[in-house]
Amino acid sequence: MILAWLIIIPLAGGVAAWAAGRKDGHWPRRLSLAALLIDAVLFVVIWRDAATEPALARGTWLAELHLNWIPQFGIGIHLAMDGLSLVLVGLTLFLGMLSILCSWTEIRDRIGFFHANVMAILAGILGVFLSLDLFLFYFFWELMLVPMYFLIAIWGHENRQYASLKFFIFTQAGGLFMLLSILALYFIHHAGTGVYTFDYSLLLGTPLAPMTSLLVMLGFLISFVVKLPMVPFHPWLPDAHTEAPTAGSVILAGLLLKTGAYGIIRFVLPLFPLTAPVIAPAMQAFAVIGILYGALLSFAQTDLKRLVAYTSVSHMGFVLLGIFAMNTTSLQGAVMQMLAHGVSTGALFILVGLVQERMHTRDMERMGGLWSAVPRLSGMALVFGLAALGLPGFGNFVAEFLVLLGTYRMSPATAAIAAAGLVLSAVYALWMVQRAFQGNRRWSGSLPDLSLRETGIMALLVIAIFWLGLYPGRVLDITRPLVSTMQFIPPSANQLDARTGGPAHDRMP
Amino acid sequence: MNTAISISGLKALLPFLIMTAAAMVVMLGIAFRRDHRFTVLLTLAGLALGGGSLVFTPFAPDRYVTTLVLVDAFAGYYLALLFAAAFAVVCLSYSYLEIQGGHREEYYLLVLLAVLGAAVLAAATHFASFFLGIEILSVSLYGLTAYQRHRDQSVEAGVKYLILAAVSSAFILFGMALVYAEVGSMEFARIAIRAGAAGGALLGTGLVLIIVGLGFKLAVVPFHLWTPDVYEGAPAPVTAFIATVSKGAVFALVLRFFGNMDIRVGGALFLIFTIIAVASMFFGNLLALMQQNVKRVLAYSSISHIGYLLVTLLAAGPLRLNASAFYLAAYFVTTLGVFGVVTVLSTRDRDADKLDDYRGLAWRRPWLAGVFTAMLLSLAGIPLTAGFIAKFYLVAAGIGSALWLLVIVLIVNSAIGLFYYLRIIGAVYSMDGPPGPSMPISLSGSAALGGLTLALLWLGIYPGPFLALIGSLMQTAH
Amino acid sequence: MIPLSWYIMLSAALFTIGVVGVLSRRNIFIILMSIELMLNAANINLVAFSHYLQSLTGQIFTIFVITVAAAEAAVALAIIILLSRNRGSVYADEFNILKG
Repeated sequence: MILAWLIIIPLAGGVAAWAAGRKDGHWPRRLSLAALLIDAVLFVVIWRDAATEPALARGTWLAELHLNWIPQFGIGIHLAMDGLSLVLVGLTLFLGMLSILCSWTEIRDRIGFFHANVMAILAGILGVFLSLDLFLFYFFWELMLVPMYFLIAIWGHENRQYASLKFFIFTQAGGLFMLLSILALYFIHHAGTGVYTFDYSLLLGTPLAPMTSLLVMLGFLISFVVKLPMVPFHPWLPDAHTEAPTAGSVILAGLLLKTGAYGIIRFVLPLFPLTAPVIAPAMQAFAVIGILYGALLSFAQTDLKRLVAYTSVSHMGFVLLGIFAMNTTSLQGAVMQMLAHGVSTGALFILVGLVQERMHTRDMERMGGLWSAVPRLSGMALVFGLAALGLPGFGNFVAEFLVLLGTYRMSPATAAIAAAGLVLSAVYALWMVQRAFQGNRRWSGSLPDLSLRETGIMALLVIAIFWLGLYPGRVLDITRPLVSTMQFIPPSANQLDARTGGPAHDRMP
Repeated sequence: MNTAISISGLKALLPFLIMTAAAMVVMLGIAFRRDHRFTVLLTLAGLALGGGSLVFTPFAPDRYVTTLVLVDAFAGYYLALLFAAAFAVVCLSYSYLEIQGGHREEYYLLVLLAVLGAAVLAAATHFASFFLGIEILSVSLYGLTAYQRHRDQSVEAGVKYLILAAVSSAFILFGMALVYAEVGSMEFARIAIRAGAAGGALLGTGLVLIIVGLGFKLAVVPFHLWTPDVYEGAPAPVTAFIATVSKGAVFALVLRFFGNMDIRVGGALFLIFTIIAVASMFFGNLLALMQQNVKRVLAYSSISHIGYLLVTLLAAGPLRLNASAFYLAAYFVTTLGVFGVVTVLSTRDRDADKLDDYRGLAWRRPWLAGVFTAMLLSLAGIPLTAGFIAKFYLVAAGIGSALWLLVIVLIVNSAIGLFYYLRIIGAVYSMDGPPGPSMPISLSGSAALGGLTLALLWLGIYPGPFLALIGSLMQTAH
Repeated sequence: MIPLSWYIMLSAALFTIGVVGVLSRRNIFIILMSIELMLNAANINLVAFSHYLQSLTGQIFTIFVITVAAAEAAVALAIIILLSRNRGSVYADEFNILKG
């Protein structure tokens, strides 16, 4: 039941914030923050259990909830949490609180509705990370969309209508493919067993003919890689990130993108253990293209926010590469990258938001010389610029290192090309710091440096990114059970047409 | 042929008798006392009585009353749906007509008559009841569409609807004559047997003519040309009535008439319905993209929704009736809700059908905007709303019968549909709307909208009990 | 005795004339009359078949149809009068306020 509370509390907090917003601007913020803090307490409780419980070592679920919802369709409320969900829930709550804090002064109108939307998105994301019923999963998957659309369309910047529509259509179209695949799986399972169910643990053993398996898997995959985003499904991302308000960008980059990666790890690999390796080489190729393409394009941007948005494409390429390199090390790296990217990109977006709040522009051509005016803010930008380029000591370094190490074992050439992305990331990160924060001033007037609240936000982020970089063992321990129970079949041993697609339920707990 | 009506037969006819009586009472009531509120209360009482009588109606799978009507659970479900929808329409009409001048009372008489026609359609099993039902419904609708005599659009819409509905009735009638010639009977059951055994040219032509006529009434492509004009011109609550009660009753009849026939994959009927469904989905959605008028957008959207619904007709197995029953319930709630918002925002001079009427609505009237958003999201099929579960059920029924083409077209169209629903929602939440609230919403209007919103969320979030109800009703029906 | 096929041909011809009339004429009264023609074509069919099949259903049905057609015509004329009063015209081309 604790899992249900994790989702219900933010939702309730959002409703309360909406109601409170009609009277006063401050209560929505306080209520939202309070709801997330309560959630964080629950999270800490689970985390402490997780660390001690022997359950973790066996790889079973840390907590589980199973209720009936629409029995006629075999739909249940099945929530469960393992190490992967646990760390991602932690990330969600952390970034959720920061996005509330960072919009404390940025959002000035329709405050109640804003917080209701933010909390609804967070609840949807938490639901995605916890659902084990495919229908429920799809439900939460869609639940994230509408409030995100509002967030961009109402509080976004100049081009918000276009960006929000593009975001919605891309992800919704992807989601419909997933719905088709979920239903196909549902009916195939029924044809085989006579049972109508959407339950993940039951569907795991569904035998699929090779061609069917490929098609059904592609349905899931399209939906997930649009979210991720994988090149060439990324066009929505730069627009959405750039136009969204700061909190929206933080949630988009830090959390929404992670749901795509989570979906691949949770659903695509275990449901299609024989088919996934077949397309792994292609996915690796796309991942590497994404790494290089994202890095190159971010180098070409003059809009600071757009630059950060393109770095996400590059960094999420590493996640994809780690997942489809298909070994324990690379998968650990992918999970690590999800967390590190969430923190570092979240921080960069918050910094951009702070700059924009002060200068009313995101154009780097009109910045320069910020260091002397706002040294603390600029120092933070340098820290997270360095994190983005993967300097040792930061979480990103650990993650990218593990991904490359894992990939190298499978395919040294791929790892080598992907490593070139690291060089490019150094170029764009330093270029950004140089153009925006150093050099000559191209503006006039004076700017205030970080306030106490803003310093607090940045301090939390710095602690988080260093914690991930210096003590990665804790996170790796927690996610290890899941990762190590996945048995990867080398692609050479299973050609698509050379097998019949036997039951695969022994591959996952 | 059993032509005598027994006592139990009369009891089974109770809902129809009550509607007839209600229409007469309202007519007499208007003669004695011309008062808007009084007439509305009489009408609502009649509809409530009719709905309440369903509890006592002895539904049975073989409860034929003569050969004309079959009062089974299938009919019972659709009667309940039609009465409930009419109830909501009357509530909305009250708030709409209250601000209009002139004679408002006869409007409710026409509504009751139209409901009677629709009810007959839902139970019809014979060409005679089919034709009478559809004509009572259509003729009442001519009057309703043109009810606002001082508005040119309303009268023009009335004439357009009149001509096309009359032509479609003529097609249906001619088709009936041809079918009768070959089968020698006007009973649906016998026609279905004959159609299954590969009928001749007369039967085939007759069925095609009937499909053309029903296509007009359902407004499916390529018989949809009247829809946008009539939707735009008719008073908003009448548009809601046409979109729900009229189409729902005709669809119930389609299910009854063609549902008994063997629509085999690859057969002519299958091909015709597939083409109609696919064309309706695509044309409806693509044309909706180009509209500026909200009522026209909704008209095209309803065309595509009937296209989606046709998937259930083609699906085989027990899911078919359940899926269409649920879809229609969700579609009724959603459509009534959307047009309900249009209704309560309309002024004395014109209906709120411009996109500009909705710009910034969220900041002027947050509750109303919330209802409108929920309804539009339901039309788009977004989770937490009835529309999502309904569309899910459709897709499930389609995949269950391996109708892959239709299901994929349906999904592609759902994505296209998002564009225009979101455009309206975007306008509702845009920052640059005209300031200040206009007149307050009447009690009956807000009660109807509140009820519809609750129904929407209930069907969307916890549909289990309702699905179980539909399941048990439809099981006894066929 | 006149064979059944003659009736079918007659009614089909009348029905076609009606359809063509609805589609091509511009005066709304002529359009209405064309619709009546279509209905009556169906009536001829029904009566002929009823006689041919020795079943009364068709003839009774025809009486229903005639009744309904009368009611329909009454409502139709009322609406058209309203229209011609509002617009001063009965030509279908001029009804063009409503378009997308």
